[in-house]
Amino acid sequence: MKIEMKVDYYPGDTGEFVRVDEEKCTGCGDCAKFCTRDVWEPDGEIYRPVNLKRCCECGACWNVCFDDAIIFEEPKGGTGVRFSYG
Amino acid sequence: MNEYDVIVVGAGCAGPAAAKKAVELGLKTLLLEKAQVPGEKNISGTCLNGAALIIPDLHYLVEGPVERVIREMRTYHINKDRTTIFHEIPSEGILLLSIRRDHFDAWHTEKAKKAGAEVKLSTTVVDIIEENDYVKGVITDNGEKYYSKVVIDAGGVNSIVGRKAGLIPKRKGKNMILYVTICVHLGQKVIDERIGECIEYYLSPGIQYKTWPWLFPKKDTVTLGTGGYMDENLINDEFPNVNKYMENFLNLPIVKKKLEGGKIVAWGLHLEYDEAIEKRVKNGLILTGEAGGFVVPFLGEGMPEAFFTGIYAAQSVAKAIEANDFSEAKLSETYQELIARNFFMQAFRHIGAVNKQTALSKSDEEITKMMQNVIMGGGFISNAIHTKWMKGVEDQDKELLQEAYDLLELIQPYANVDPDFENLYNERGRK
Repeated sequence: MKIEMKVDYYPGDTGEFVRVDEEKCTGCGDCAKFCTRDVWEPDGEIYRPVNLKRCCECGACWNVCFDDAIIFEEPKGGTGVRFSYG
Repeated sequence: MNEYDVIVVGAGCAGPAAAKKAVELGLKTLLLEKAQVPGEKNISGTCLNGAALIIPDLHYLVEGPVERVIREMRTYHINKDRTTIFHEIPSEGILLLSIRRDHFDAWHTEKAKKAGAEVKLSTTVVDIIEENDYVKGVITDNGEKYYSKVVIDAGGVNSIVGRKAGLIPKRKGKNMILYVTICVHLGQKVIDERIGECIEYYLSPGIQYKTWPWLFPKKDTVTLGTGGYMDENLINDEFPNVNKYMENFLNLPIVKKKLEGGKIVAWGLHLEYDEAIEKRVKNGLILTGEAGGFVVPFLGEGMPEAFFTGIYAAQSVAKAIEANDFSEAKLSETYQELIARNFFMQAFRHIGAVNKQTALSKSDEEITKMMQNVIMGGGFISNAIHTKWMKGVEDQDKELLQEAYDLLELIQPYANVDPDFENLYNERGRK
């Protein structure tokens, strides 16, 4: 069976609930390495959460970031990822 | 207007339990949840343990929406030499209740609401209000401020409340598990035939990293989960992300057969951390459930711990209100006492810790083999070893322990099936 990442989202603007602190980011790429949803992409010498719409809000990036360069908040109420059968 | 005795943040497992208990104890209670429907931000193993639900505090939960009753358990240990299946069938009784969190948490929240709690859905807490070193309330994403004597944090693994209060640190390495789940629709009849009222655990090289993959049936779907500890070895060239472990899991011939004709209807991702955090209480704040580190991911236990700690937190707040003392010391006093008295929680934390130690000290191949040895030779060989071993422990007889160990060593060569025998049979036996 081929894995299909079937993920649902509530409609509506989540807000920028994951951001990078450009001053602190050293570009190590651990955020991208541990992100299963390919949210993070390199941009010059740092990484940015370019594909935030794909985020599942797991917090792996924030937890692994050695340099405290990730600001990980919550999407606006009633928006963001929506799991059925959880 | 926006003043309460207690504000509960998060309507997963711990939150509604806390809110319901709080109103029953006469407290003015507000329950806040970021999702539109409680449970729709949650991913978990989704089997409620009967050993926990039998404790009177949790009796009411059996009235919730149940997908499937679980009476049996199968464990598959698979390596290149053999597959060993351990099928446990209690003569009577229910082991677990399989649920869907989006249904169950919504029901549980409604229960708290009917009891008298004020519930606000689609409401994200963005910060806490602190005054004179006491947590006094929370601020939501629409800028609204809510005040309370105590805040109960039931916001899950990365809870913003616990983080803002400085109690939830960043975690990784061997303290954090990252896992993916998929839900496969097969239809009730097919699941009845292929899996039944049974949960399954699997262990095989390449399908997990130091954890135990699982397959749990719901009514007309099954959920599978696997992943591993978030250290430097989880992701590498062979496993570019955790989906690769899941792919290998799904492609085990034995699993493939079970899922034949099925359709993936949902995919999920979740973090769990494996060490109790240092402090669960602060002036005016109690952490419960996953926010408080009350989870044993290694055993797939977390929901009962959340229900219990939610209820205990509400009881602690009630005591604090009686004494008009919302300090860390006062809140901890009741909270710690109630937790220490809960045998279920203590036992599972201990079992989890011992097993984690085993998993981290051995390779997947070694562990699979070790578990296969538990039931080697149809149980007769194992029994011969085990009986000596247990008697040795009972009598504190080191010689008997040594004999048991020697016997285990002696029969090791016979654990490997010699392919030459089949060749011999094919050549000569069929004549």
